[in-house]
Amino acid sequence: MIRISLALALSMSVVGLAHAASTWTGGDDLPTNPLACDATPATAAAQPYNGGTVTGAPDRKGKPIKVVDVPKLIGIGYFNATSKGIADAAKELGNVDAKTDGPTKANIDEQITFIDNYITSGVDGILFAANDPVAIAPVLKKALSKGINVVGYDANSTPDARQWFVNQAEFNGIAKALVDNMAKETGEDAGVAIVTSTFTTPNQARWISEMAAYAAKCHPKLKLLETVEAQEDNALSFSQATTLINKYGSDLKGIFGMTSVATPASAEAVTQAGQCGKVAVVGLATPNAMKPYVAKDCVKSVVLWNPVDLGYAAMYVLRATADGTLKPGDTKVKAGKLGELNVINGSEILLGAPFVFTKDNIGKFDF
Amino acid sequence: MNWRALLLRHETVLALLLAAGLAFLSSASDRFLTLDNILNQARLMTEVGLIALAMTFVIVTGGIDLSVGSIVGVVAILLGVLWQNVGLPLPLAIVLALAIGTLCGLVNGLIITRFKVPPLIATLATLALYRGLAEGISQARSVRGYPDWFLVFGQGQMMGIPVQVWLLIAAAILAACILGLSVFGRSTYAIGSNEIAARFSGIAVDRTKILIYSASGLCAALAAVIFVSRVTTTRSDMGSGWELDAITAVVLGGTSIFGGRGTIMGTALGLALMQALKNGLLLKGYKGDSTIILIGAALILTVLLSNLVPMLSGLAARRQQA
Repeated sequence: MIRISLALALSMSVVGLAHAASTWTGGDDLPTNPLACDATPATAAAQPYNGGTVTGAPDRKGKPIKVVDVPKLIGIGYFNATSKGIADAAKELGNVDAKTDGPTKANIDEQITFIDNYITSGVDGILFAANDPVAIAPVLKKALSKGINVVGYDANSTPDARQWFVNQAEFNGIAKALVDNMAKETGEDAGVAIVTSTFTTPNQARWISEMAAYAAKCHPKLKLLETVEAQEDNALSFSQATTLINKYGSDLKGIFGMTSVATPASAEAVTQAGQCGKVAVVGLATPNAMKPYVAKDCVKSVVLWNPVDLGYAAMYVLRATADGTLKPGDTKVKAGKLGELNVINGSEILLGAPFVFTKDNIGKFDF
Repeated sequence: MNWRALLLRHETVLALLLAAGLAFLSSASDRFLTLDNILNQARLMTEVGLIALAMTFVIVTGGIDLSVGSIVGVVAILLGVLWQNVGLPLPLAIVLALAIGTLCGLVNGLIITRFKVPPLIATLATLALYRGLAEGISQARSVRGYPDWFLVFGQGQMMGIPVQVWLLIAAAILAACILGLSVFGRSTYAIGSNEIAARFSGIAVDRTKILIYSASGLCAALAAVIFVSRVTTTRSDMGSGWELDAITAVVLGGTSIFGGRGTIMGTALGLALMQALKNGLLLKGYKGDSTIILIGAALILTVLLSNLVPMLSGLAARRQQA
């Protein structure tokens, strides 16, 4: 924090750029679409296909294909779960050779280089979860221009850089689940803070925007104190959450964890600060990481989808794209055991509504 | 220099190692030794390459520059902010961004020479400082939507060869001439071999060091502009970790971390070996983590070899004399 504030002060004085110090919440600047305060489902208007097109792709219908999955980073529980889903689906399909490889840090440069090298190595399909929607676009467009099928999941690129994107849950749905559960635990009149990965990570930024819009609409007294960055780093998330607890004291009633790393780290920070029951933690996380805190009643609700299903769906979508059975204009796609999934927003495939893990059900999940 | 001494040079050992590596990797994958792939790899290593060229000078003086990755971040952010938020024309923003990068390097040089702070500490501090500046100025907002002409630096081609590869080649030749042939280059070696002796010989040690750290900042800034053009966006975390890649390439290239020894040719070979390993192993089907292990092993091996071979030949020579 000292570093950032020092840097801020310096940047203001040295550079003298009147880059107004607005209360930046970490959201993106895109329009928001908050859901109704009750459980009324959203009405979505049909949109024409807005994804990219692959050029010069050979006929892959029913033929064996080689697929590489390049997540944001490897070696964390969440992406281990998505790659398990991808591997499961590949095995089930029988004609897909899928492997996961990627950077060990959520880093745009390395992810781009990995994809570039896999294009050269001659794969038929690329699955990705973007560290930055714009930075990854040139290399994905290169893949499309070389006849490689490209499908994203978890974190999107610009739509024209991939054919389809498998959306785990709509942003406004996640935002509603997080904010509603937080308000339920802290009461309406509470100060809350957010621990996110980086402000430019596309899905986190989108959720934060939607959360702010939904809170303003349905929980206007909820006050967002601050959003802090913690990459997807366990130690950094812990120290950021601890800093928040020390900085705001009793004004802080809740912490949102925006990543599967930040949420358990925040719960640990609350536990170690002896604030269980005083500071609520609501966030996105995998059940295994949260079980100890849920068992101790330190955390009451964990919001997520099933990342194994997400990877599984992405693999089925890629296979359907390669086969030509999923075409622009289609409204549904078959995804094995998940049944039929809906196409939304032109070129996205919706996995389903978010899932809230609580003390009653968390024991049934193992990922 | 006789043929035997030439054969025992670190560069020769490294070139042989590189040739062996290339032969192995190209036999392992038929996609490795294609013009398309080689040009693409050269494109991908340009940014770290530019930084490594200047880093060679820095390390030859016995110093180190850990702040280069952070300079990339702050320059990239300022390029975007000056252009989009301040509203300067993009060419002017580029020139200013390069100037700011040089200034960052100059600040390093001044801290090191005027306040006698060891380079490791000084640049470790500015590593945090410049990254903090990048984060503070950007407020974590990305600047996007660069015009098409700007994207030429990172994505375009000239006579079938990526634009930035021309730049890297030009910079490498320039750096090799300065370090190998000029008075400035001799001063650089002299400082690294024995700084006190260099001072007594009338070499402007401080001025030379300040120039070298400034050049390091300029190279990082140049890398930043190319990188922004390649990925069409700015982020405050750009270039993080590049200082280690650059230092690895330089040390792999035979530059002594204690100063006084090293060549641009060695750095170029070190860079090429690193990039070839990363790319070739991946094409052969190895995953990213095993590549990191292999680069670490190659680093240790080449340093051992280059230390061992002269030692053995020295022993042999002494025995002949006796």
